[in-house]
Amino acid sequence: MARMNRAAAFAALGASIALVVSGCSSSDDNSSDSSTADADKPVTMTLWTNATTGPGAAFFEDTVKSFDAANPNVTIKIQTIQNEDLDGKLQTALNSGDAPDIFLQRGGGKMAAMVEAGQLMDITDSISDETQAGVGEGSFKAESIDGKTYAMPVSVLPGGFFYSKDLYEKAGITQTPTTLDQLNEANTKLKASGVDAIALGGKDAWPAAHWYYWFALRECSEDTLNSTAKSLQFEDDCWTKAGDDLKAFKDTGAFNKGFLTTSAQQGAGSSAGLVANHKAGAELMGAWDPGVIASLTPDEKPLPDLGFYPFISVPGGQGDPKAIMGGVDGYSCSAKAPKKACTDFLNYLASADIQKAYYKAFNAPPVNKDAQSVVTEDYLKAVIAAFNDAPYVSQWLDTLYGQNVGNALNTAVVNLLADKGSVADIITAVNNASAKG
Amino acid sequence: MSDSSVNPLAVKDSQHDRAVVGAGSSPAPTPAARPRRRGVGWRARFEIAILSGPAVLLFVGFVIFPVCLAAYYGFFRWKGYGKPTDFVGLNNYKIILTDPEFHAALGHNVFIVIASLVLQGPIAIGFALLLNRPMRFRSLVRVLIFVPYVVSEVIVGTGFSLMLQSDGAFNGFLDKIGLGSLAHDWLSDPDIAIWTLMAIISWKYIGFAVILFMAALQNIPDELFEAAAIDGASYWQIQRNITLPLLGPTLRIWAFLSIIGSLQLFDLVYIVWGQYVAGTAGVSTMATYMVQYGRTAGNFGYGSAVAVVLFVISLIIALVYQRFVLRRDTEGALTDKAAR
Amino acid sequence: MTAATIVPPKASTRARATSKARGGAGPATYFVALLLVGVMLVPILYIVLGGFRTNAQITTDPAGFPSPWKLDNYIDVLTSSTFWREVVNSAIVALATSAVVVAAGLMVSFVLARYSFRGRGALYALFAAGLMFPVTVAITPLYIVVRDIGLMNHLGGVILPQIGFALPTTIIILVPFLRAIPAEIEEAASIDGAGKLGFFFRMVLPLSLPGVITTGILAFVGSWNSYLLPLFILNDEGSFTLPLGVQAFSSQYSVDTAKVLAFTSLSMLPALVFFSLFERRIVGGLQGAVKG
Repeated sequence: MARMNRAAAFAALGASIALVVSGCSSSDDNSSDSSTADADKPVTMTLWTNATTGPGAAFFEDTVKSFDAANPNVTIKIQTIQNEDLDGKLQTALNSGDAPDIFLQRGGGKMAAMVEAGQLMDITDSISDETQAGVGEGSFKAESIDGKTYAMPVSVLPGGFFYSKDLYEKAGITQTPTTLDQLNEANTKLKASGVDAIALGGKDAWPAAHWYYWFALRECSEDTLNSTAKSLQFEDDCWTKAGDDLKAFKDTGAFNKGFLTTSAQQGAGSSAGLVANHKAGAELMGAWDPGVIASLTPDEKPLPDLGFYPFISVPGGQGDPKAIMGGVDGYSCSAKAPKKACTDFLNYLASADIQKAYYKAFNAPPVNKDAQSVVTEDYLKAVIAAFNDAPYVSQWLDTLYGQNVGNALNTAVVNLLADKGSVADIITAVNNASAKG
Repeated sequence: MSDSSVNPLAVKDSQHDRAVVGAGSSPAPTPAARPRRRGVGWRARFEIAILSGPAVLLFVGFVIFPVCLAAYYGFFRWKGYGKPTDFVGLNNYKIILTDPEFHAALGHNVFIVIASLVLQGPIAIGFALLLNRPMRFRSLVRVLIFVPYVVSEVIVGTGFSLMLQSDGAFNGFLDKIGLGSLAHDWLSDPDIAIWTLMAIISWKYIGFAVILFMAALQNIPDELFEAAAIDGASYWQIQRNITLPLLGPTLRIWAFLSIIGSLQLFDLVYIVWGQYVAGTAGVSTMATYMVQYGRTAGNFGYGSAVAVVLFVISLIIALVYQRFVLRRDTEGALTDKAAR
Repeated sequence: MTAATIVPPKASTRARATSKARGGAGPATYFVALLLVGVMLVPILYIVLGGFRTNAQITTDPAGFPSPWKLDNYIDVLTSSTFWREVVNSAIVALATSAVVVAAGLMVSFVLARYSFRGRGALYALFAAGLMFPVTVAITPLYIVVRDIGLMNHLGGVILPQIGFALPTTIIILVPFLRAIPAEIEEAASIDGAGKLGFFFRMVLPLSLPGVITTGILAFVGSWNSYLLPLFILNDEGSFTLPLGVQAFSSQYSVDTAKVLAFTSLSMLPALVFFSLFERRIVGGLQGAVKG
């Protein structure tokens, strides 16, 4: 009989646990108050950012603190998510109706998908005049669809080569390359001097794909790039030419060994870490890279000999040799977020002082013109100059073409680099991807 | 004879007979098989409903229903929010069956199935035979070799991926003992990666096989060995004619579990090789393919179709296996109408 | 062999015969055992010891021992609320899952084993077919189902499906167990006026305890280690279970290899402790399952 009692007790315990669990609310504090009026009701919002460590994380903590102090009825909770996990989690959260109120927005096709699903707040009318004046129109364009703005830009992140001046000097490279041939020459010298020429974070796929995007930017005309965003089919020749360029470049052996399991930003073994620790000469990245590199140096301070030069020109391409590709990092409000509190925060983010703090924390170009004027690092100045010089700016292709096609493209490029796929396979993969979803 | 402290009354002997006699001949009549043909009265029906209710509800609700939903969603192109509206019929399946990435994943799965059986089976039997002898510390050894099985695949994946990096502990160790030239890119090299995966899988699951076989070996009554020894049989003859055949049912069940597990492999590959490059490294599985091109890409209709394909493949293999391999072992279990 | 009087072999002959059949435990056996145990444990040791080193140590000497031993990493993890929150989440999920799986599984196994009715075969086949539906197959629509009933980010959204998926294994183990209870006991119970339900509560429950423990433990370990289902359902860090936590921690702190190793090795601990407590039951239970 004792056994039966024990069994019954056990079952009762199990049942009560199940009851307790189902009674417990989730710890996600998402009490979004969607009434648009009444700014005095206490409001709690959640903020998702990919700034997980170092000064970047501190920036958000400080900014939220100061905003909460200035707006006593508002409390913002920060959740930091590793960059590689962010898009997936965000999509899940948005689709399940459990979205954070404020979150990092990549723009492009990814943003278009969210707009189509009605998941984003239209902030066009909530942008303050001050913000409008301080932030360039171009940056807003990147966050708008059909004239409506869906995110507040905070940083413009064009891409190019971030390199170690010391390593280049040691290898005997006197001038930064401007053509493909010069780049190949420089890489040979670097390898001879005992370091990897180019660090590549293949594990995350997109860093490898960036090489393809840049070659495509050089080979394809601006019109082709834009029309492909609508058709999601790689029909033009230029896509194949870009693939051939990449294959030829890979065959020069410039990338670090084991790039397939090298991540982009995680740890000293990542591609950013390789540059930070002087194990590789350069990497092709967006302008967030200085900040990432700074967190991976031995003393966790910005790399003193960091330099920048734009992507090289490629002979015979239809694209402009000075065209630049880059993303604009912004922050969106979810459709269900409390309108006044959320848009107030977005305007706050874009204000001059906060933008200055952003630049200092992330070592990346801010969008606010006043903030841009205080940039001191010459590599950032070079980035901003290249950006301003460019005849046109394209978004990263995986952002532009959306997560589905973007992922397929990225994976196919990695396959090419690992000798497991051909250039034609890239085209096929992209064309098939749109059929899958 | 057996280490188990468990001895449900009277159960052991009848089970015992079955295990011994079950290899090929019809089983001894099981005690509860006497037909109770009194018909199913109301009270019985009520009891059946109450007792089986919770399990059936949970199972149908969270297993059967989603699987049926998967079949339904598989006919659509769908981003996951709202209702699926873009009906594409069998197009998703067409894409899956012609996608070289899927073929690659399927191939990897087949390789893993076969390699697991071939690598783990004989080695586990060997170890089980060896460890089955009366030796000191046998229980301790048993516990320790089971440890990898208990640790989650996530932890195994995290630990091994740190250990097997180019500048990691394994290459460092090879260097220390002077075999530095053998250091390879265990994880990145597409030619080696799948063998690395097999090594990790074997490491994790061989202990389970050894324990299972040891348990089965202990069920073989000593009298058989004695009789054979008296007959003058040698050690190897005994193993071949008594031990291995009697190990048969267990072997077949283990193989079945191994096959199913290999077809469904996900966690390890996903943790070590990540979301994107499993295919490039030559270690993608149908499950990682499904997550990569389904959920990660936001293609919920396509992902569901892949799931259905995975299910159908598993089902076919399971049915074939049940019919041709396990049949004589399961006679006497409930699936057969003859058991009534 | 003649059918003459059969003389039971003497005890010593017996032992020698058995010994010959099974082989003696020579030094080769011990060596192999040591080798096997070593291979199994070395990676575990690597993870555990790694937590005691600094990143500098790991970079310069990847395969070495900690020198000096640093406790900071372990202490940091042990004092972090994240780690304990995840342990609690995992514990709640695993306990709830195993409790309900065992209870519901036992009840339905009893029905399948001791009642005779039309559709019994079909019901058993339904559950057995469930082995063919791993979580991987059902996860995409399951995520949508859980989302639509509002259990996203909720531990319940993980518990309920896990129960469903653990039922087939449980039932397959318990049914033969329950079948093997001799009819005489059931008849004795009915003579005593107990009826089937009384039989269930008074006799079957105690008798099935070994099977119950085995399946409970399997369900517990399975739930504790599960990754895919929580990955899809638990988006919010606050509700993470331990496997999710390990992966999140290792990507967030990937700079800090030593700390990741410390976190990983502490995450192993609950499962190992649990296993060592119940080792006899698990292995004994496997033995019983093997018979079935």
